[in-house]
Amino acid sequence: MAVIKIQDLTYYYPESEKPALDNINLEITGGQFVLLVGGSGCGKSTLIRALSGLIPDFYGGTYRGKVFLNGKEIRQLDRRSLVRQVGMVFQDPESQLVMTNVEQEVAFGLENLGLPNSLMKRRVMEVTGALALSGYLHGFIPELSGGQKQKVALASVLAMQPEILVLDEPTSQLDPVAGEEILAMVRRLNEENGITVILVEQRLERCFHLADRVLVMENGRILYDGVPESVARWAAKNKSPFIPPLARLFAGVGFPEVPLTVKQGREILKAYYPFPGLRNRNPKIKRAEAAGDECLVDIQNLWFTYPSGKEALKNINLKIRPGDFTVIMGENAAGKTTLLKNITGLLKPGRGQVKVLNRDTKKVSVEELASTIGYLSQDPNDYLFLPTVREELAFTLSNMCLSDDGVSAEILQRLQLTSYAETNPRDLSSGERQRVALASVLVARPQVLLLDEPTRGLDYRLKAELGDILLQLQAEGKAVLVVTHDVEFAAEYAESIVLMAEGTIIAGGSKYEMLTRSTFYSPQISKLFNNLVDDVVTLEQGREILTRLMVVKENQVVCG
Amino acid sequence: MLAYREKENLIHKLHPLAAVAYITVIILLALLFSHPVYLLGLLLAVGTVIIASGNYREWKPYLLISLGLITVIMLVNAVFVQAGSTVLFNGPRVPVLGKIRITLEAICYGIGMGIRLLVITSVFCFYTYAVHPDKVLKLFSRFGNKSVLAVTLSTRLFPLMIRDVRRITEVQRCRGVKLDTGSRWQRVKNRLPVINVLLLSSLERSWQMAESMQARGYGSGKRTCYTRDLLRPGDYLILFAAVLSLITGIWAARQGWSAYTYYPRLESFKLGELKMAMIIMLALTVPAMLGWGWKKWPLLKSRI
Repeated sequence: MAVIKIQDLTYYYPESEKPALDNINLEITGGQFVLLVGGSGCGKSTLIRALSGLIPDFYGGTYRGKVFLNGKEIRQLDRRSLVRQVGMVFQDPESQLVMTNVEQEVAFGLENLGLPNSLMKRRVMEVTGALALSGYLHGFIPELSGGQKQKVALASVLAMQPEILVLDEPTSQLDPVAGEEILAMVRRLNEENGITVILVEQRLERCFHLADRVLVMENGRILYDGVPESVARWAAKNKSPFIPPLARLFAGVGFPEVPLTVKQGREILKAYYPFPGLRNRNPKIKRAEAAGDECLVDIQNLWFTYPSGKEALKNINLKIRPGDFTVIMGENAAGKTTLLKNITGLLKPGRGQVKVLNRDTKKVSVEELASTIGYLSQDPNDYLFLPTVREELAFTLSNMCLSDDGVSAEILQRLQLTSYAETNPRDLSSGERQRVALASVLVARPQVLLLDEPTRGLDYRLKAELGDILLQLQAEGKAVLVVTHDVEFAAEYAESIVLMAEGTIIAGGSKYEMLTRSTFYSPQISKLFNNLVDDVVTLEQGREILTRLMVVKENQVVCG
Repeated sequence: MLAYREKENLIHKLHPLAAVAYITVIILLALLFSHPVYLLGLLLAVGTVIIASGNYREWKPYLLISLGLITVIMLVNAVFVQAGSTVLFNGPRVPVLGKIRITLEAICYGIGMGIRLLVITSVFCFYTYAVHPDKVLKLFSRFGNKSVLAVTLSTRLFPLMIRDVRRITEVQRCRGVKLDTGSRWQRVKNRLPVINVLLLSSLERSWQMAESMQARGYGSGKRTCYTRDLLRPGDYLILFAAVLSLITGIWAARQGWSAYTYYPRLESFKLGELKMAMIIMLALTVPAMLGWGWKKWPLLKSRI
């Protein structure tokens, strides 16, 4: 029986003339794991908010059509019975927790439902036990890690025992390990407790295979609805980026089978093994033509200790040259962000030195370095406060006493922001906001660009756009240094990889050396070809190999 | 960040009702008494309890600041108040103030008021470091849910805003905003981007938070109150001691024993007054005594 039924649902946000949801018709049966995919602003979040009654109750706007929960029209349900049926976990753990301690947070929803104390105690005990939160019951929430906070948010919703669990990009602000943990919990809840799960997620390689059904959305409409395998084929045929890299690879070259996991992919490839004469032509990394040999940033024996006594960087040696595209990877607290801050001059080395264009950062202020070192932080909102995009760019120029010789228009055009020049940046989508923040950095024409977790919360299309922009900058001779947990992004766009752990650089080299034969720091493509073909890292390499495999197979069939 | 840190002693494990009752009684008595011996008794009692709660290190800065303030109060009172008959110093005539005349009574009055200030700041120190704010808020949430939630939200968001300010400042500096150069006015003006970003981001966050609260049924009807705090014999003993001190204090005040006449000449101490001050002080050191016993005797630990 359908637990959710949506009939002709159309919705406009207040003061918007474009529908956020356009004639949606959908039925979801109990116990299903539904994955909702699509680009930024396609209506995914709006749809799940309509299921939880937040639209239109919280947002207002114009609403047409009907949503039924277990046969009852949602508008006819009182709010208590609605929140008992649908639990919602949001994107940012920081912005959904209201109490100061874990136990009180988990009990918050139960108090709102007016449950007796004895029942609340039982529910809190059960849910914190199940999500391994018992050890943090009295923990102060601001001191928990992002993953723990998101677990608390999940626990506070689960304590209300909802029949349907709706999650809006719950892992987008988390590191991969914490993200995996949340998704594993969600899968367990679906499999072991039969809870209906509706998940909106961008990193599809983590969850595509978990879903029973995938809905692809665009412009407020459901474009395709099917099982993951059929969605993968449809997406490859329609050039939609919203499938995991592996499925995109196989479906893209027209392979007869489409795997959703590395395990399935390797099973398929084994049928072709041994690969006769198939050796990967490892592409030599070409340095950008504009690149020179001068050293833009020279880090020698850098040690850094925080006032708290924590030794965050130990004996770091690194050179950044024009045309470099380096990605720094490593666990949380490995010292990656501290290293970036030492390069920008925000932090000064304890021992050793950091030289930017031969100037010791100890003797130069951050503001003086700002025109040479561009820094894009994790949250683009930290940059945006002016009424228009154009003014944001002008603000950077005026800070650095630079004149606008047409650079603003050039950067806006390059980042496809010209049409938004007079728009308030806070009215833009997350991907567009990030481009505005990047534009406000690039307008000073820095020679080195540092980016801290730039792909966090971005969908595949936006990631690809960002990657292309960075490649263009690299080709112009700018040095790009990115800190990220996103192995797929690093594999596709970086030139070299630096691995950090506990404040030291433990390894560094070309991405073909660093991202292959690794359990954790390798993209899906490398894991697929591991021990079958050497040094495969990018989608392009994978495509080439699969195409050759298909040709070999065809020839064998013809000859046979 | 939260100043409170859980410590392994009886005082940190008290029921919030016992802790709040103790603090309230101290504040009431500090306002009721003007006798320096009574005030000193209160200070000794609070000090002993703070030390027993393992927060001496945290109390030290409060003591230093308060001692500075006491000196100021004492000096100002001595210079401005001409009352008192025991003249210690006859100074020159100063415009506005008139003739400077420092009396022993004025100095003693300043010291008395200073001790009162010290008692109140010490009790706030005790509240900050030895009582979990959440537990206290929870205790009062039965009476005023919305205001309690507002206080809880502020406690929750304050560390987040500090982190935001730090991060936004770094980002804007990397964008060339010169925060520490130029005139004072220029520096204030340069901080505007940081404040603007903070305000805009906080507004967005408050919207998201309200949405999360709505999704969890906030405002959907009468709320209940979740609590797991249990009253133990130790809590009853402290409650009893606090009530006993309050009653004794009120009785002493009605007898006129807790008041003290500073002017025109310092009054002498009477034995009856001192005995009563001793009883109140001993009653208010009950938490420290229990805490000490809790640590030393496992049997007592299991009983209270």
